[in-house]
Amino acid sequence: MYKPLLLSFLVCGITGFVQNANAQVFAANYTTISQQNKNQPDRKASIPLKEALRDAEARFGIHLVYKTDEIPNRLIAADALSGKLEQVLENLLSPAGLTYKKVRNTYIIKTQKVKTSGKEMLTPSETSPEALPNTRAISNDFSSLRTVPSQLQFPTSSTHAVAVEDIKIAGKVAEENGQGLPGVSILLKGTNRGTTTDANGAFQLAVPDEKAVLVFSYVGYLPQEVVVGGRTAINITLAADTKALGEVVVVGYGVQKKTSLTSAVAEVKSEQLTRRPVSNANQALQGIAPGVTILDRGGSPGPNSRATVRVRGITTLSSNDPLFIVDGVEQPFNTINLDDIESISVLKDASSTAIYGSRAANGVVLVTTKRAKSGKAVVDYSGFYAVQNAINKPEMMDLEPYMRLQNVALINSGAAAKFSEAQISEYVNATDRLKFPLPNTWFKTVLRAAPQFSQNVSVSGGNEFFRGRVGVRYQKQGGIAPNFDSDVKEIRANTDFKVSNRLSASVDINYRNNNWQTPVSEFNVFNTMFHGSLWAVPKYPDGTYGVSAQGNNPLMYAEIAGLSRNIQDYLFGSGKVEWEIIPNLKFSSQYAIRYTAEQNKNYTNAYTVLDYYNPSLVRKTIPRSSLTEIRSVTRETTLNNLLGYSNTFGQHEVKALVGYSEIQNKYNTISAYREDFYNNDVQSIGSGSDNNKNSGGVDSQWGLRSFFGRVNYALADKYLFEANARYDGSSRFTGDKVYSFFPSFSAGWRLSEEKFFEPLRTVVSELKVRGSWGRTGNQAVGLYSYFQTLNSSTYTFGGSVVQGYVQSNLANPNLTWETTTQTDIGLDAQLWNNRLSVTFDYYDKLTDGILLNLPIPTTVGLNAPPQNAGKVGNKGIELGLTYRNKTKSGFAYEIGGNFAQNNNKVIDLAKTGPYISGSDIDPRYIIKEGLPYNAHWGYKTDGLFQTADEIKAYPTLVPNMKPGDVKYVDLNNDGKINSDDMTFIGLTFPRYTFGLNTNFSYKNFTLFTQWQGAADVDTRLSGALAEMGNYEGFTHKIYTDNYWTPERPNARFPRPVKLDLRNVSTSDRMIIDGSYLRMKTIQLSYSLPKGLLERIKAGRATVYVSGTNLLTFSKLNEWNLDPEAESGRATYYPQTSLTTVGLNVQF
Amino acid sequence: MKIKYIFPLVVGLGVLSGCEQSLLDTVPNDRISSDIFWKTERDAILASNGLYPALDGVNIFAIEGVTDISHVNQVFQVESNIEKGIHDALNSRPQSEWTAAYRGIRLANDFLANIDKVQTTNTALIARLKGEARTLRAYQYTKLVGLFGDVPLVTTTIGIEEGRTLKRTSSAQIWDFVLKELTEAANDLPATQTDKGRVTKGAALALKARAALWAGRYQEAADAAKAVIDSKTYALYSSYANLFSYAAENNSEVILDKQFIKDTYSNNVFASMGPYSQRTANNTYVPTKALVDAYPMANGKDITDPTSSFDPKNPYANRDPRLRASIFVQGDDLPDGKKFDPRPTSGTADAIGNTYLATSTGFVLKKYINKEDLTTGGNCGINIVLLRYAEVLLTYAEAKIELNQIDATVYDAINQIRQRADVKLPALATGLSQAQLRDAVRKERLLELAFEGLRLFDIRRWKIAEKVMVGDVYGMTYADGADLKTIQIASFTRVFDPAKHYLWPIPQKERELNPELTQNSGW
Repeated sequence: MYKPLLLSFLVCGITGFVQNANAQVFAANYTTISQQNKNQPDRKASIPLKEALRDAEARFGIHLVYKTDEIPNRLIAADALSGKLEQVLENLLSPAGLTYKKVRNTYIIKTQKVKTSGKEMLTPSETSPEALPNTRAISNDFSSLRTVPSQLQFPTSSTHAVAVEDIKIAGKVAEENGQGLPGVSILLKGTNRGTTTDANGAFQLAVPDEKAVLVFSYVGYLPQEVVVGGRTAINITLAADTKALGEVVVVGYGVQKKTSLTSAVAEVKSEQLTRRPVSNANQALQGIAPGVTILDRGGSPGPNSRATVRVRGITTLSSNDPLFIVDGVEQPFNTINLDDIESISVLKDASSTAIYGSRAANGVVLVTTKRAKSGKAVVDYSGFYAVQNAINKPEMMDLEPYMRLQNVALINSGAAAKFSEAQISEYVNATDRLKFPLPNTWFKTVLRAAPQFSQNVSVSGGNEFFRGRVGVRYQKQGGIAPNFDSDVKEIRANTDFKVSNRLSASVDINYRNNNWQTPVSEFNVFNTMFHGSLWAVPKYPDGTYGVSAQGNNPLMYAEIAGLSRNIQDYLFGSGKVEWEIIPNLKFSSQYAIRYTAEQNKNYTNAYTVLDYYNPSLVRKTIPRSSLTEIRSVTRETTLNNLLGYSNTFGQHEVKALVGYSEIQNKYNTISAYREDFYNNDVQSIGSGSDNNKNSGGVDSQWGLRSFFGRVNYALADKYLFEANARYDGSSRFTGDKVYSFFPSFSAGWRLSEEKFFEPLRTVVSELKVRGSWGRTGNQAVGLYSYFQTLNSSTYTFGGSVVQGYVQSNLANPNLTWETTTQTDIGLDAQLWNNRLSVTFDYYDKLTDGILLNLPIPTTVGLNAPPQNAGKVGNKGIELGLTYRNKTKSGFAYEIGGNFAQNNNKVIDLAKTGPYISGSDIDPRYIIKEGLPYNAHWGYKTDGLFQTADEIKAYPTLVPNMKPGDVKYVDLNNDGKINSDDMTFIGLTFPRYTFGLNTNFSYKNFTLFTQWQGAADVDTRLSGALAEMGNYEGFTHKIYTDNYWTPERPNARFPRPVKLDLRNVSTSDRMIIDGSYLRMKTIQLSYSLPKGLLERIKAGRATVYVSGTNLLTFSKLNEWNLDPEAESGRATYYPQTSLTTVGLNVQF
Repeated sequence: MKIKYIFPLVVGLGVLSGCEQSLLDTVPNDRISSDIFWKTERDAILASNGLYPALDGVNIFAIEGVTDISHVNQVFQVESNIEKGIHDALNSRPQSEWTAAYRGIRLANDFLANIDKVQTTNTALIARLKGEARTLRAYQYTKLVGLFGDVPLVTTTIGIEEGRTLKRTSSAQIWDFVLKELTEAANDLPATQTDKGRVTKGAALALKARAALWAGRYQEAADAAKAVIDSKTYALYSSYANLFSYAAENNSEVILDKQFIKDTYSNNVFASMGPYSQRTANNTYVPTKALVDAYPMANGKDITDPTSSFDPKNPYANRDPRLRASIFVQGDDLPDGKKFDPRPTSGTADAIGNTYLATSTGFVLKKYINKEDLTTGGNCGINIVLLRYAEVLLTYAEAKIELNQIDATVYDAINQIRQRADVKLPALATGLSQAQLRDAVRKERLLELAFEGLRLFDIRRWKIAEKVMVGDVYGMTYADGADLKTIQIASFTRVFDPAKHYLWPIPQKERELNPELTQNSGW
């Protein structure tokens, strides 16, 4: 129990410190130390000079600028701090051979070489080069953004100190292709004076003399120094910095130089995300980063995407979604505006994720949104228009073969044929398809092409005190079936304030409104396209719907069954301050509120379908309209406090971070139900009948309190070490299980920096090996699982409703976190002048204590409580390669490939299991020790029985098997075919995933393709797709003349038997290899030439055409199904292809 | 520059707010703690109310569905494999019955373990509530033994570890327990209850009669049944045809039922058992020819009797009225006012073969299918009768016959049922042998109690399943022009292995979780 106490102390320690520091800041208004001393604790007799300087800084509210290595390691008598400011500085500096200059509130300390006077007016030229403190050059953990290079400082002093004799310089900074580069920082070397380029790359700056040196720098480009000489116009071209490892990467609660990274982090840049038009952010991550698997199963318009993100496989038996952190706060990712994203880091190994502790077991995705750069306002517009088309359009068997198949199936079942030859020929030759409807036309009649478009406008700009970026989005997606659509309206404002040299603040606001609608039962629409809707006319000329024998018509369900309308309002606000307490020590605090309100109105229409030919006959009627309205609100607040320190001591670079975070989540939902509205247009909940109305609702809340820290140490930029720890407390647990500890350690070695490596350096410019180990957790357990409670129940006696109370769940007070332990060994390299970069990782991940409701003997009589049991392991490798080059003729190309293998295995289920779900007629899955999680489970088969003798000699699944039936294998040789003969028959999650991106550009044209695929994954089709006409469903063309008859003994499919499932039990016959390779995107873009740009007054502009999901290689192609779709009946909104035209322009 | 100082202040406040102690200490507001309960009389009643939902409801149709008189209409239902005799220990129907029964037992055990904590001087109330709980627990054990034979006897609130080591108790011991419990419970229970539907003395005794009959303890069965009869609390309802209507709820014949009310605590009997043509109904289990043919003519003669005047072309005329009270046959009025016409060529939604969802035999259950539920088939308020006076009479008769204590009371018991006001079959011929009477009482049970959840137990007790549960399954006979055609379920054959099928297997999962559980022989 002392641990939480200790940690609370740490927080209170921070609190105390901060309050103290605040006191000091406020005290800066006082001019005398004596007043200060009243608030000061007793001090030691002597203190180091550096510390004394820091004290003085804090005490007087001034800013001291100095080079740390110029400050000698000497002790100062504590009483040297007494007195007025100037006196104190004199006391401190003079004995050390130092002096100072004052520029407003900044005091520049330098060695006493130049004779100066404290009262002399300082000119910029005298703020000599050494004055730029090297302590500032260390990138700091707190800046989660890289928009402003860290060495840039704009103290208020320099801009005001411009002397009249300054030379005014104007110029332009351009990229290699000649386009102006906005946001480039230009610094007068050795000073804090500088500016940035505007939208066109132009700049103006005054310099003191001809000797002045300008430093041009911009993230992603090599910095350049230019001596002014006699020029007043300076035009330069910045070369792109191809040394990718020179970049910084966003990591948990900070950033890190890529070269000193010791963990497995995949980085995705904004331009990679927006190249492919998608409706959902999850989809944008597909195929980009090794080890990040996106299963994109399409999905209807709206936020409920069926694209899931998995980092390094399936870790647990509950949710495997990674933790999405947007700008430091957990936020939904799939609905985010991709145009607002600056970068994404996917943290994969425990070393990088452990700092997120209890929620990090499935990996962490860190999203950083765009922020403004200083300079003239820049307006960006991006928009696209796309046409969506379904790519799951299974083809129905032709009429005649279908009718014959039915006859065969009926005869095989012992019944009589249904269609005589005369009927067949009459039907086939008929031209009136109202009287002689085709069996299934739904994939042609329900699905249609649908538009999708997106518009984004952003404005950003600012000065040194204030920078702001406002982005606005409007996105609309039509449905490929009637009554499906979605639109998103969104505003984001990210602002940054510089309050003083040491204090900055940012305020971000994001509002997103998503409206989407589907038919009230989306399932009915897509289910009946396959099932129970044969022979129905979609719509007669007068608008009457035809209905099948089962009363179905998917078009009717889509058009008149009612609507489910949803509105989601998402509001996010965050305020953040960063305060440099003393040089090298920064404190930041962020407070964020997330508000999500959702309103669902599910209105079922009352309707009646009459017979087209005999309107007195009711074919279908839904007599009552009804409305279920659900409203829910989630409020979540997050507080993040961080204290970070970084410094360099010779060859030693040290960074440290401690933090405290808390999250409180409150959720509340209410629902109301009424029926029998006056007509279908009256849809207000209060207007329904008072009979049979109903309401419900629930409140819940949870909290998370966390303490965390990190230490980085680098020796000579060669030997790198990092340690992370997080101590998390969750309201989901009780007693001594509330808190848990998640540590991680990692180390890296940059071999390429070693002497012995020099001969190789011409080929390999960068080589780093790294390794990590760590633990993360998962708190995926229902609320109050530890709480022994009685639940309310309802019963009735003699027509009166009575309430009862009973225990229904066993409580488990011993519940605690799932723990995932992960080891990672990796390698990063740059070869051939950085043309080729390589990242490789091997990982071994073990999740222990998986929270699951282990079945308990039901003789106990209560529902099983969640328990910490079960182990799942994931081992795998990941490889990322990028090769880029540019020929002399100006042809530039980049090829990026990624590959990942993941071996998933359920290691232990605490002596329980296996858990089998599904059935003979649907996919059957098993969770069993030694097998991959949720593997396909079923019979092995050995072809088809060909003779009666063969059947006699072998056990069968059901009695009375006949030739042409499936021969299921008696695996255990016990003479029976039953569930004991079932075995592993396939994987549901791909073992291999891969992606390939190519980018070719020549002059103004760029051709981009993205390929993505998966291998060693299996699909089990079921329902109508598998039943080959034996029931009343869609019957795929693939079966045409391809089923067993005595004349066709070698047919691919067994004999059909009407209303009989003997041949379609879940078996290896029903498993289809789900591997695929797909061209996700192909895009051709054209950058408008300079002349044209000038005419339209744009900085740059690009137009493109692209196609998504246009080409796929897969065994499921012959079923006209999407290979990314999951096993089963395909009763979902079909996957789509997109053809897009788009425009990106910057003004 | 004052703003410069405001931000640190905000930060400081932010940090301070982090010390809210209740953050991790949340309390649910939608459930109550066990610790604060079990204090007052009100708690006692609330707790006893919670026991009743564990009674059987529409699941009785699934149990009936796998007998000779019923066919599982859709072959992909799990019960279809049981009907065919190809089920195994993984079949989910035995598992769900097992689970539900032990859930009911746990509730009663919880109740009995805690009820004495309630502070009250009203000892009669506590005694009565205990009697109800013990009867409800005995109900579950009766069903469990009937389905599985030996099962673990759990009479306390056990934990997971105990659950892993339970052994099966012999049926004989469980019958001892059940009969003793019901005897004692009956002593504490009143003849009638203010709350209709609560367990009464009669319910305990009638259940005792049923349990004793199933246990083959005929004397006890006869005695218990006689006690119910002699109590004069119950009487046959005047109309068999209306017995399962809303109007007849809580009638004089009902001894124990599961009570329902529309909207709040409803069942879906109409949707699951009604004819396919009736909106969302699904005729999940449909009567077979075996049952329909068993109803005699109104003159009491079997239809196979050449003198019965049975007309195969008009097969439903002049039959035992219970046939058309229990089963929809061709020509019957449907709840929506149309005629039921399941002939394959009729063109109606109910036509056999119209869709595989329509009845495959041409028959659909009529008991419990009420017009009132037509538009809300999934929201029915009709009570499901679990024990009625007719059964007690037949139990009495059967027990006496087996004891060979044949006297006028035996004939009287059977004849009361045959001569209900709207049934009016001729009385049994007198002077029948024990064997003849045995046949008579068994047939009466079949016809009177069809689809009331007892047939499976009866064909097991009588050891006739191996005769009646084999071979092809047939449905209606209809005129196709001049020909009479009889529906046969295509590609469907029942198998019954007397060496193992007389009991369901102990569910596989239970045996994996508790290795102490042995399996029934043959499985």
